[in-house]
Amino acid sequence: MTDDGKKITVLNPLGTLPPIKLETMAPRLDTLDGKTIYLVDVKFPASEQFGKELLNILKERHPETNWLYKQKAGSYFDDDPELWEEIKNNGHGMVQYVGH
Amino acid sequence: MGIPTVPIITNTFETAVRESLYGKGMSNLRVTYVPHPVAYRPPEECREKILGKNPVSGRQVIEEVIEGLTSPLTEEEKNTGLIEKPQQRLLEPDTPENLNKFFLNNGWTSYMPIFLPTEERVAEMLKGTSRKPDDKVGEMAPSSPHAAWSYNVEQVAVNAVMAGARPEFLPVILALASIGTTSLFTSTNSFTSMVCVNGPIRNEIKMNMAIGALGPFNHANASIGCAWTLISRNLGGGVIPGLNYMGSQGQGHNYNNLCFAEREERLPLGWNPFHVQKGYRPEESVVSVFHGWSWSNMGGFESDKDYTIKRFFEANTQCCGETVVLDPLVAMMLQKDRRYESKEALSQWLHENVLMTQTEYWGYPGQAFGGYAVGGHTEELEKAKAGVEPYASWLNLLEGALIPVPRGVDVNIIVAGGETNPYWQGGSLRYLGSASVDEWK
Repeated sequence: MTDDGKKITVLNPLGTLPPIKLETMAPRLDTLDGKTIYLVDVKFPASEQFGKELLNILKERHPETNWLYKQKAGSYFDDDPELWEEIKNNGHGMVQYVGH
Repeated sequence: MGIPTVPIITNTFETAVRESLYGKGMSNLRVTYVPHPVAYRPPEECREKILGKNPVSGRQVIEEVIEGLTSPLTEEEKNTGLIEKPQQRLLEPDTPENLNKFFLNNGWTSYMPIFLPTEERVAEMLKGTSRKPDDKVGEMAPSSPHAAWSYNVEQVAVNAVMAGARPEFLPVILALASIGTTSLFTSTNSFTSMVCVNGPIRNEIKMNMAIGALGPFNHANASIGCAWTLISRNLGGGVIPGLNYMGSQGQGHNYNNLCFAEREERLPLGWNPFHVQKGYRPEESVVSVFHGWSWSNMGGFESDKDYTIKRFFEANTQCCGETVVLDPLVAMMLQKDRRYESKEALSQWLHENVLMTQTEYWGYPGQAFGGYAVGGHTEELEKAKAGVEPYASWLNLLEGALIPVPRGVDVNIIVAGGETNPYWQGGSLRYLGSASVDEWK
C-alpha cells in the first residue's frame, strides 16, 4: 500500500444493524382519578427509599388514584413476566424507576 | 405493555437510554429524568429531587410523570413502521492517511495503530478459514438492553485484519466471535475480559502460555485479544462511551483482554485442561471467555497457596465468579504438597472454605434499608426473603458469623506461566462460554 496520495478501497468494519420496528405508544389516560397505577421498583441496590418518597408524593397529589407499589422479582437484572401480566390485567398505567 | 408507562431514570444515563430506546423502536417513550444519583441518598434528598426539575427538560419531575400518563399522544408518538440502515460493504476510496483518520474519528479502533482492511488484506485473511465470507457468525450487543448486531465471516475478518492478526489466527477469532459475548460489557462497573485457548491450535499458531503469557510478548495472544475488542466495538453494537458503554473508570485490560493459552503440557497429573472440564475432547481446539470486576497479580513465597487463594476471594468476590491462572509451579505445589488431585478438588475446597462474615455477605454497614443491608448478594437476598435455604438461615445468623461465599458461582482454574516462581493471578471473573475452533477452520 502506498501513502503517496493514491486512493485505496477498504471494507467497512461495522456489523449489521437489525431493522428497527417502531412501536406506537399506548393511549394515555383521561384522568388518574379512580385508576390503578403501579409504581414498580426495578430494585437497583439502595434505591428503595426513592420509590417510597415517590409513592408518598403521588398519594399526596392524587389521593383518588390507587397507587400500588411493587418490587420486581429477582435482582435488577431479572425479568418478571408474572408482574407484567398482573399489571396488564389489573393496572391502568405504570411508573417504573431505575435507581443509580 | 399496552398501558401508559413512564420510566424514571437518573440523568447520567440519558444518552444511554436514548440509544437503547432508539434500537428498540421506542424513541417516543416518555422517560422522566431525575438528578443523579438517587441510590444511597437519604429520603429527604430523594423528595427534593422528585419535587425539583428534570435536568434534561427543565420541567418539574413529578408533573412530568403525571403528564406522561395523561397527556394525549402526539402524531409522532403514534408512528409505526420499520427503519432499516443497511451498511455499505465498502467505504468511499480515499488515501490511507485520510482513512486512518476516518477510522479514528468514527471510534472504530482502540486508538492504537491498525492495519487498514483493504480488499487484498481481507481476502488474504479469509484464506484462514474454509467458511464462506457471508456465513453468519453470530450476534452481539454491549448488554441485554441494547439491540444485538449480527456479523458474518468477512466482517469478522475485516476486524481481524485491523488487529494485525494472521490468517491462521482467524479460526480462533471466528470461534471467539461466535460465542457472541462482548469484551466491552456495558455496566457502570468496568469489566475485565479474558480469553483462554485450549487444544492443538495453541501450538499450531505458537501462542504464548509460558513466560509472560498474559503480557505483550506474542503475536497471536496480542492480536486475538485485540480483535475481540475491535469486534465488540464494531460488530457488537458500535460501542461508544456514555452511549452504550458506561464503565465509570474504564478498564485497561480491554486493549487485548488477558488473552493467553493454557499450558496443558505442564498440568499436574490428574488435572484436566479447561476445555476438557467443559466437556470437549482433549484433541479439540477451543476458545473460552470470561469477564468480571477484578484481576490481581499475586506474588508470594508461601507454601499454602490454597489459603492464599481463599483469602484473596474472601476479599474479592462480590461479582461475578472466581477464576485463577496458576503458574505450573503453583499447580504442582497444590497437587503434590496440598494433595488436590484435580482442579475440581481445589474448586470444591474453595466452594466450602471461602468465607465472609454475615455482615460482609449481605451488604455494607450504613446501607441498610427496610431492615436489610443492601449492596451485597442481592439475588441471594431475594431467595432468603422468600425462605429459600440456606440463604434464609444465613440472614438470621449473628453478626460476625461466617458463611461460604461462592454459592452458585463457578470457580475456574487454569494453568499458564513460565515457572520462574510459584505465582498466580486471579479475579472475580465468571465463565461465559466456549466455542470449538475446529468448526471455523
